[in-house]
Amino acid sequence: MRRYEIMVLMTDRIDEEAALAAFEKAKKILSDQGGNLLEEAWWGKRKLGYEIDKRDHGFYGVLDFEATSDAVNELERQLKISDDVTRFKTVRPEIRVRTA
Amino acid sequence: MPPRSAAKPKDRNRPRKPKPCPFCTQGIEYIDYKDLSTLKPFLNERAKIKARRTSGVCAKDQKMLAAAVKNAREMALIPYTTR
Repeated sequence: MRRYEIMVLMTDRIDEEAALAAFEKAKKILSDQGGNLLEEAWWGKRKLGYEIDKRDHGFYGVLDFEATSDAVNELERQLKISDDVTRFKTVRPEIRVRTA
Repeated sequence: MPPRSAAKPKDRNRPRKPKPCPFCTQGIEYIDYKDLSTLKPFLNERAKIKARRTSGVCAKDQKMLAAAVKNAREMALIPYTTR
């Protein structure tokens, strides 16, 4: 088990509710794979730094968790398939700086 | 030590004393790509990463900063460039 952090970017072609549902789905996949969710953050709708797929807004969500590499691979595979998810990024934060 | 402004003409060509690294002095050990307020000061108005000689960031932290900026760009948190 390792600590991971994954950020998911969802299109604004769907409304916030649907985007949240997609985010919840990612969490469900994670728990099905035996992942241990430590923290989550919903950033909501944000303006993108540049246009992606003719869209300049998107919904952001961040998941902080412990999981095996297989669990992460499976989650990434499913995110890749999903039409609601435009982009995602997995990082392994070595040291976390906690902002109080 | 005499102040920098009072340098003799002879000293003008001498290399300047490097600025202290802003990350090391603040004790930041990990630069998070999500934390835009820490990344922004190291980008110029064209959204390019500032050179070490202007920002004074040490080699180790510049590497980490560059990686963080690139991650943030991929996730469209900051633009690649602004025209």
